Amino acid sequence: MRGKSVSLDSVSMRFGDFTAVQPTTLTIQAGEFFSILGPSGCGKTTLLRMISGFMSPTGGTIRIGDADVTALGPNRRPTALIFQNLALFPLMPVWENVAFGLEVRGVSRRDRREKAEELLALVALDGQGDKLPTALSGGQRQRVAIARALAVEPAVLLLDEPLSALDLKLRQHMRTELKEIQRKTGVTFLYITHDQGEALTMSDRVAVMRSGVVEQVGRGDDIYDNPATSFVASFVGESNRLTGTVDSISGGFATVSTRFGTLTARSGPGLAAGDKTIVFIRPERTRLQDTPDGAGLALRGTFLRRDLEGPFINLFFDCQGTPFSAHITNDSRHAAETGTDHWLRIAPEDALALPAGALARDE
Amino acid sequence: MNAVYRSYGPLLGTIILLGVAVWTLAMIVGPQLFMIEQSLWRMEQPDSAVTAGMRIEELNNALSLAQYDLGALEGTTDPDKMAEREKLARSVSAMEQELTTLQGQDTAPVKVYTISNYTEMSGYHAEIFVKTIGASLMVTLIAFAVCYPVAYAAAKLAKPERAALILLGLVIPYAINELLRVFAWLMILDYQGVANSVLLWFGLPEPVRFLDSGAGVFVAMVYAYVLFMVFPIYNTIETLDTNQIEAARDLGASTWKIHSRVVLPHAKPGIAVGSIMTFMLSAGSFSVPHIMTRGTAQPWFSQLIYSKFYDSFYWNQGAAYAFTLLLVCVAFIILMMKVFKVGIRDIAK
Amino acid sequence: MSSTAPSSSVSASRVVLSVYMALFFAYLFLPLILMVAAGFNSYSPPSVTQWQGFSLRWFSELAEDQRILQGIVNSVVVATGVILLSLPLGLSGALLLSRLDARSGSLLYGVLVSPVLTPGIILGISTLIFWRQVDVGGGLGLTVMAQSTFIAAYCMLMFMARLQRQDTSLEEAALDLGATHMQVFRRITLPFLRPAMLSAAVIAFLQSIENYNTTVFSIGASHTLVTEIGSRMRFGLTPVVNIIGLLFVTVTVAVAVAYVLLRQRERARTPAG
Ligand SMILES: Nc1ncnc2c1ncn2[C@@H]1O[C@H](COP(=O)(O)OP(=O)(O)O)[C@@H](O)[C@H]1O
Ligand SMILES: [Mg+2]
Repeated sequence: MRGKSVSLDSVSMRFGDFTAVQPTTLTIQAGEFFSILGPSGCGKTTLLRMISGFMSPTGGTIRIGDADVTALGPNRRPTALIFQNLALFPLMPVWENVAFGLEVRGVSRRDRREKAEELLALVALDGQGDKLPTALSGGQRQRVAIARALAVEPAVLLLDEPLSALDLKLRQHMRTELKEIQRKTGVTFLYITHDQGEALTMSDRVAVMRSGVVEQVGRGDDIYDNPATSFVASFVGESNRLTGTVDSISGGFATVSTRFGTLTARSGPGLAAGDKTIVFIRPERTRLQDTPDGAGLALRGTFLRRDLEGPFINLFFDCQGTPFSAHITNDSRHAAETGTDHWLRIAPEDALALPAGALARDE
Repeated sequence: MNAVYRSYGPLLGTIILLGVAVWTLAMIVGPQLFMIEQSLWRMEQPDSAVTAGMRIEELNNALSLAQYDLGALEGTTDPDKMAEREKLARSVSAMEQELTTLQGQDTAPVKVYTISNYTEMSGYHAEIFVKTIGASLMVTLIAFAVCYPVAYAAAKLAKPERAALILLGLVIPYAINELLRVFAWLMILDYQGVANSVLLWFGLPEPVRFLDSGAGVFVAMVYAYVLFMVFPIYNTIETLDTNQIEAARDLGASTWKIHSRVVLPHAKPGIAVGSIMTFMLSAGSFSVPHIMTRGTAQPWFSQLIYSKFYDSFYWNQGAAYAFTLLLVCVAFIILMMKVFKVGIRDIAK
Repeated sequence: MSSTAPSSSVSASRVVLSVYMALFFAYLFLPLILMVAAGFNSYSPPSVTQWQGFSLRWFSELAEDQRILQGIVNSVVVATGVILLSLPLGLSGALLLSRLDARSGSLLYGVLVSPVLTPGIILGISTLIFWRQVDVGGGLGLTVMAQSTFIAAYCMLMFMARLQRQDTSLEEAALDLGATHMQVFRRITLPFLRPAMLSAAVIAFLQSIENYNTTVFSIGASHTLVTEIGSRMRFGLTPVVNIIGLLFVTVTVAVAVAYVLLRQRERARTPAG
């Protein structure tokens, strides 16, 4: 099996007056594990359904490999979709589910059975072929759906939040497994999720979407360390935020006036002197000190409470009305007391100033 | 249309559309339109045929007179009479000729569009029509009164197994054909039937003629159609959250209040459906009056329609009567939808 | 909350209700019992008041009554025709309506279910008049047409109820795996509709066999079991019809039981959800 690339050229989708997907241009490389990440309702499923052929875009063209597939129906595209609810056929045993794509292509029963067993082995379901899908557990059903999609040897596998119905443990286990299957088969995976953890752990590249617009495409590190917009910065990972105005920019660093004083931060794309800005500081890059010494701005914060996350501890402070948090590794040494004051230092390379814009809503 | 082809593809999509088209046009809309059309005309003698007919009669009279005179002059030798006879013979042949032309003329009745099939409903028929509608309304009302407690008991008061038994008890009588069910009531209410035997045994001086009054039709009709009233009401009451009833009781509502303010409003769609079905079945019932009137009580409107088709073969007026009946049913449906504020989708469930 | 007064009035109303239910069921069942009893009375016309002794003679008379036997055959022929016509029509209607938007759907829905709300005699009359235009007269074929007009609507409603519970992503998944629309229909949609097909066929059969008001207009010179009974009602009735009534109950109960059993087997094969 070999994956193919997917190219979107100004692909858009309108429902009446409402535009679910703004004109989007995007190329997914052959054999890539590509994720589209965004809050629910941002148009991810719509985009996926256009690629799989269940919806015709109201504008633009879609190519898979070298072929323009914009006008083809779903049964004539080299894609296979894993549905959000899996959509296993309840009346057919597992192996018939897996072999369905071969059956409709006229493959003989013997060959189908053989191929189904092979695929079931690939997804670690050996010998479960004669059960009905309802007799399997959630994770097993998940793998049946994947085997069924892989049976038709698709060039592109489209997955619509396939793990959302599973419990946490299984979800984390399936991440590794999906990645492994993708590596083994070489099929292009286009993976849709609203869960940043999934997107960051599995993907070669991630696209972050908001309200029908792809705001940023990049490797996970890139997205996390250098978010292009305030939305991406607030949606991916946690962050502390300070608002201010840009005084000047030089050498990739911006000088920003905030109500806590002047602060230096890396300058994000599209920022100019005089702009309103939001400065993002990751909690784990916030330096907790007893004194304000060191480069960068130090804020004085009153300790409120701590949340134990296991490997690290999440500490919450109040800086004159602005909430601020810091993550520290759990080395069982830290013991702050509620009401005591501390210094939170923001080093210039740990802060990122971005043009003030939309933020992800906290859920 | 596009959605249909998109979901089912060209072949299946076309089959589906064709199937629905045949059903709609050849089985529903077409027949109704043709029935209406049939009700709007009748075959009539054309005017020319009427005058021609009168003239033919006239000629026939004159001819037989002349022929009689001619016969009287037969074998005469009187020249005067010979001339008279000559003249007479000529006029006879002239008349005979006119007669053949007239008779050769097309006097076949022609199709004339008219609304008189509707307007000519005689006083007697109009009376039966009004009585049928009124009686059907009564049947509907009685059926509702009889069924509501049963439906409520089955849906809310009885334990599940008992409720299943009640429903089964409601369904089983319907296993028997409608005609036979009604006939059973005939056996009871007949002059020499079970009811009278029992009454006589209790000392009634002479049997009662239940059937002549038309009361038999009522009893049998309610019997024949209760199921159509019980089930819709049962289905809606079933969906009522029992907690609502208990909350109302807890708040001190009387039984009457609970029903008028909680149960009945909730059951509205079911009552509407039950009423529509019962009314429609009663007004259009042929079987029940066919058996229960026995020719002694006044016929039902449906029986008039039947006799227009199969006794007097006057289809046009039969179609007019049928369409009138349909209009009444449609009016009743609309009335129920307005009164109970339900849509067509709620009705056909 | 509950004082003694309401609870005693509740139990009083329970007694009233119980009495009422007893009367109601007596009303429902008494005629049936009489009906069956008269079938075993050797007296004719059917009666229970003129009892002339228990007899099975009407069974043998039924077996020799050619018109009745022919009527049964005709009824089964018509019912089979109705099933063959109504199921595809009802299915087409349901499949079409499931894909139409609310506005155009409502109108078509109204038209298609209108026969259910139309008096049966009118369906018979209009079908009779319609087919007269092309010189097709009353008979078994016309009766199939007339009955299917409304029985197809019942079938459609049953299919619609089932389709509403279908997960449309199943059809999409099949399409996505490369199935043609025909294959999707055969492999996914039809198997899903199987239980509804069974119910629809049973209902169509029973409705057709039972029908009188429509059939009496469309049957012409032929006859079905029920129209034959109808024409004997006014004269020449013998307890043979009571025996038929008995058979009706037996057959219907048998069909009902078979139906329930089949449904259970179907359920066992079809996992919930
Ligand atoms: N068929 C449709 N008709 C109208 N609006 C739709 C339709 N499908 C999706 N939408 C709208 O488009 C937006 C994006 O939907 P979707 O792609 O399902 O979001 P996501 O998968 O990211 O949660 C939503 O606001 C949704 O309401
Ligand atoms: Mg979605």
